Amino acid sequence: MTTAALPQPVSHRVLRNLGILALPLIVLVWSLADPTLGQEVVEWIPYLASGFAMNVVIAVLAMALGTLVGALFGILELVPHRIVRYPVVAYVQVFRNAPHLVLIFATTYIFPFEIVVFGNYLPFPDWVKAVIGLAIPASAYVAEITRGAILSIPTTQWEAAKGLGFARSEALRWIILPQCLRRSLPPWMNVAASITMGTALASLVGVHELLHAATDASTAVRRLDFTIIAYLVVMAAFFLLCYPISRLTRRLEGRFKAA
Amino acid sequence: MQHMSVTDLFISLTSRIGLNYEFLVSGYEAQIWRDGFVTTLYLIAALIPVSLIAGVTFAACLTSGRLWLSVPVRAFVELTRNTPTLVQLMFSFLVLNNLVSNMVGGAQNNPLSPFFWVIAVVGLHIAALHAEAIRAGIEAVPASTVEAAQAIGFSRLQILRYVEIPLAFRASLPAIVNNLINLAKLTTIGNAIAVSEITYASIMVWTQRDNVVSLMIVILLFFSVINFVIARIGSWVERRLAVPGYGL
Repeated sequence: MTTAALPQPVSHRVLRNLGILALPLIVLVWSLADPTLGQEVVEWIPYLASGFAMNVVIAVLAMALGTLVGALFGILELVPHRIVRYPVVAYVQVFRNAPHLVLIFATTYIFPFEIVVFGNYLPFPDWVKAVIGLAIPASAYVAEITRGAILSIPTTQWEAAKGLGFARSEALRWIILPQCLRRSLPPWMNVAASITMGTALASLVGVHELLHAATDASTAVRRLDFTIIAYLVVMAAFFLLCYPISRLTRRLEGRFKAA
Repeated sequence: MQHMSVTDLFISLTSRIGLNYEFLVSGYEAQIWRDGFVTTLYLIAALIPVSLIAGVTFAACLTSGRLWLSVPVRAFVELTRNTPTLVQLMFSFLVLNNLVSNMVGGAQNNPLSPFFWVIAVVGLHIAALHAEAIRAGIEAVPASTVEAAQAIGFSRLQILRYVEIPLAFRASLPAIVNNLINLAKLTTIGNAIAVSEITYASIMVWTQRDNVVSLMIVILLFFSVINFVIARIGSWVERRLAVPGYGL
């Protein structure tokens, strides 16, 4: 029982690194063991990859938009004027508590399928609506992270900045926010991982992404073993993307806690 | 002057600001929608104990110090934390459910419903998150406390039951409440396999009535209220269980 306190043995590290590759290895070995199945897999991999590219694009854009809006809202949550603060706090509370799927449904079914800009009809594709649908909860989470990070900086620093002649906004920009960046990185990465996994929900509104592609592929091939392996590929793809993020997050958390 | 019920009044008032709740007086769609809310609440009520029991079991395996217990559980925890729950649900429903059907000789004999698969997949997913929180809590129990328990003759299981879990549960309660809020939100993925929870029921209504915004407002309020209640109960439990002087 005392081993719990000791550094983890080498075997654990080996197991953990093997674990990352376990799913791709299963897919590979199974494909090699059954050549007819392997051929189907090779045939469908480009189609699945195009789906996964869509997941990555949605995740990156949703996080970019969510971070911009969220950082701004996090600051606005601390503005002394109630007329600014209350609507922002309400936005954050409602959308932090809302299921991602509900927000994706909301943006998909409420936004029009095309928009008019200066008399030109521009298409408004479903995947862009999914980006907005995921950016909304992302912005609410990022706002909470930003607010928490700003509040975690001791008030004395604000006072010291004031004493040095900084205005409130200058102190925020040059003294408080740079420190917040470091503290909010691990929770921000958690949000990024959760939004990345949320992109799979876009398949339910017909966006051509990985899960949708796998469902297409398995209905086209109609073999139970192919269905199994197609979903294993989907899991492996998400796992290979999200697991390193979560490992890094835990490392950073540990390091910042020690510092 | 016609007599107006509360529902009629609500419909006429909301229609003035452009919202459409007329389906509430049509028996059939209103019934579907009400059942949707009930199904979601039922899912949450069933999932909370399932996730907690499985979570404590996982945490016990993770901290047991026995590789044959901790390695498989660790693998499952990492897998479920780092892949989308919707993918897990589709995999379980399309693959595992099919295998079960084949084993019992046809889908008509398969006792497992979509409802069961939502409980199993979401329950185990949240259990993995609980397990991580409880494990962190168990590891935060001071070594001297565990040694004291060993010294007075507690077995490994007794230490877990009487010393580690009670302290770890208190330390991990904020994280557990957070997971339960995620649990409430995750019930919506039942939509994908036709469990008639609130989003599924709402789609049935808005395809007929074209009143997405009106339904969306109620759904968002519904989840805000549920999560507010969960958070409140969580902080009430936290206060009830607080050990004076222990800082938890």
